[in-house]
Amino acid sequence: MKILNPSPEMDRRSFVKKVLNGTIAGSLFLAWPMGGTSLETPEEIPGIKGKEYDILNQEFAFIVDVTRCIGCGSCCVADKREYNVPDGNYRTWVERYVKGFSDKIYVDSPHGGLDGYQHARTDIEEEIRDTFFVPKLCNMCKEAPCVQVCPVGATFISPDGFVLVDEKRCVGCAYCIQACPYSVRFLNPVTKIAEKCTWCYHRVRKGLLPACVEVCPTGARKFGSMKDETSEVYKILKGPGVLTVLKKEMGTFPALYYKGARREVI
Amino acid sequence: MDLSYRMRLLIVLLTIGVLAGGGLLFKQLLLPDSFGVYGHYRADAIKEAALVPIRHGTNASCFKCHSNEVKFHKKGRHQTISCEFCHGTYADHVADGKKIGTLPVKKEKEITTLCLRCHNTEIKARHEEVIKTVAMPDHLKDQNVKITHNCNQCHYVHAPLRYIIRAKQITGLMEAGS
Amino acid sequence: MDAAHSSVAMLVSNYVFPNDLHVHWSMMIVLYPYITGLVDGAFIIAALYYLFDVKSLRPVARFSLLFALAFLAIATLPLLLHLGRPERNFNMLLTPSPSSAMAGFGYIYAVSMGVVVFIVLFVYREDLVELRATSKGWLQLLYRALTFDSIDVSEDARKLDKKIIRFLVGIGIPVAVILHGYVGFIFGGVKANPTWSTPLMPVIFLFSACVSGISAIILAYIVIRKAKGRSIDHNCIKTCINTLTLFFILAFTFEMLEVFSHSYLKSGYHHMVEGLLNGPLASSFWLWQVKICSVIPLFVLGVMGIFKIKPFLYNFTAAVVSAILLLQVLIMRWNVVIGGQLMSKSARGYTEFHPEWFDKEGILAVIIVMAIPFIILFVLSKIFPFWTADSETNVK
Repeated sequence: MKILNPSPEMDRRSFVKKVLNGTIAGSLFLAWPMGGTSLETPEEIPGIKGKEYDILNQEFAFIVDVTRCIGCGSCCVADKREYNVPDGNYRTWVERYVKGFSDKIYVDSPHGGLDGYQHARTDIEEEIRDTFFVPKLCNMCKEAPCVQVCPVGATFISPDGFVLVDEKRCVGCAYCIQACPYSVRFLNPVTKIAEKCTWCYHRVRKGLLPACVEVCPTGARKFGSMKDETSEVYKILKGPGVLTVLKKEMGTFPALYYKGARREVI
Repeated sequence: MDLSYRMRLLIVLLTIGVLAGGGLLFKQLLLPDSFGVYGHYRADAIKEAALVPIRHGTNASCFKCHSNEVKFHKKGRHQTISCEFCHGTYADHVADGKKIGTLPVKKEKEITTLCLRCHNTEIKARHEEVIKTVAMPDHLKDQNVKITHNCNQCHYVHAPLRYIIRAKQITGLMEAGS
Repeated sequence: MDAAHSSVAMLVSNYVFPNDLHVHWSMMIVLYPYITGLVDGAFIIAALYYLFDVKSLRPVARFSLLFALAFLAIATLPLLLHLGRPERNFNMLLTPSPSSAMAGFGYIYAVSMGVVVFIVLFVYREDLVELRATSKGWLQLLYRALTFDSIDVSEDARKLDKKIIRFLVGIGIPVAVILHGYVGFIFGGVKANPTWSTPLMPVIFLFSACVSGISAIILAYIVIRKAKGRSIDHNCIKTCINTLTLFFILAFTFEMLEVFSHSYLKSGYHHMVEGLLNGPLASSFWLWQVKICSVIPLFVLGVMGIFKIKPFLYNFTAAVVSAILLLQVLIMRWNVVIGGQLMSKSARGYTEFHPEWFDKEGILAVIIVMAIPFIILFVLSKIFPFWTADSETNVK
């Protein structure tokens, strides 16, 4: 009995494995002190670890492959743990789309998918034609409306393309939350400032993948540098195949792309 | 001072002007240092965002010490599962190269619930080429085991097909060494 | 999209993004445009008298200035109560973002406050000079400061005062327009929200602001004068009502045009707006805002404008219509601010809003915030009398 070969999208995993073999032996050389914990990790995003970070010459992309998402919710759990996100607020979440034979769409996201999807929906009265899962997170718009409306310059686009929040400047007016067409922002009830997914900027800066990408077991979330021509995201973005963005008509030019997202996804 | 009415008004106007001008100058002093370097924001905020403490490691971080699990996990079907998803974050376990806490190990029904998050066939959105799913308790009935069994009573969680393959090899259902 | 009068939130097909469940801009953000609107409307009355020489408005000219000042004084309060970090509010003055409408608040507010305060000081200068002469101690110091320590009330000085008042009111009008117009643009500039994003938003806000302010002046004038047993100047009320009618026709037309355009063009997410107005907002929009508080006053104002009515009945109807219109503008602000947030950006569902009683943005806080300007007005009346000597006619 043969074990199914990892699909081509598993490049990242096999890459990690290859590096790992060398890493265990040479782990001392790769020891990277990071804020107190010595976290020996292989280089997950090439060109960052151990080098001076050139903030003006970076471009990252995030691709979500809807055809591979199984709704396990590992990403939601990892995200909540990485940032201690308060209950009821979500930096990332997974939606379930159910399509009936009448072409009606039923969408739900119980607790943002934190518990995974353990049971089918029992409240739908017609026969179900199709079901799929759609992970959602910050689109890192190149023309972000949240940045445009922030009155104090607390949210901004960094030179390396990340939309971030200055935790020391935000006054908690919630204008950015109103302005985001994708509802990825929320007001943290503990700190009373605006918060959102940051594509794990603190991890990316150390050459690690975002937490949700790290834990995704099927490769539904992909992250990489567009400056690295061997990265999976580069190959997908530059290759043939259909990639879409959410709410294109809003003119936000997201850096988050969806592969295999149906027309029903908003 | 015996100033005419007009003079007084002029003084008031000038005072407002001076206060406003002074205020604008004062505002410049109060601006944070790194403001405006890259744009209308505090450039130091970028550094601060980069220094948020990291809580998750990678599987490689776990393997560094848990070499026993490495052998099975790397070769099993679950090679893409993050250790930390089931066990908790690296930051809760290790700090400064030392162990600071024990991560929980899931038991019994907790394990079954975790498995079914991915492997439950009830949710018809899971493509067979991405993941194999089963229905409970049908799966247990098909395999002729008690329906109170937990998943890990047959499957080794770190390499779920390991014992299954071994059992099949022993009973001759599968060729040895495959 | 199913639009039922029953709770839309319970529909199987209702889906709200997880972060959309909570309504972030609550009652304080309903109050802020309402308050700046009252300021604007009151200022219009003052401007009509001081700049456009509408003599019939003399009885309420000073009062409307003080009314505007009292409400302008607390305009910051609802915003401070809303902010998650009010202690950082000076960031708005230090680093206002040039692309954000909201950033304009600090400077626009400061300028309008300065303009209104100085207008009041120049309008009342003669009275204050008199009061200075007859008072002692630190009250006299106060009057000296308020009159720039000058006792010059010669013909020359008074002519200069009038010129200054005209000038200040002249620049006060665009300042007032910006003070409330920018609030409209705060909503109008949000493309993510289909009810809010329209170029008409600042226009609708401005016209309904004038409606609320003028109604407030009419109602307050009648109520206060009646309470003190004084007469009511019928010509003054007539002019106010005529101005009110004009602004209300404009406001109502634009409000309805907005809704009609959406439902005619059927573009983008119009189905969400329609679902909102016919669903969760069916009662507060169609029944209250439109039928009870717009159509009825429109009809009544029409009757008041066309037919000759006896002064007593006219004044009484004026007060009632003003009260209804004050409610209309408040409901309109509610429907825009809170109603607009009930639509999820998922374009598939609506959430619910539950006002709290004791929250910092709760019902009790709203009552207190709206009560404070009246206290301020009372204090102001002790320094700056509302009515001039010739309008002090007592009624038996």
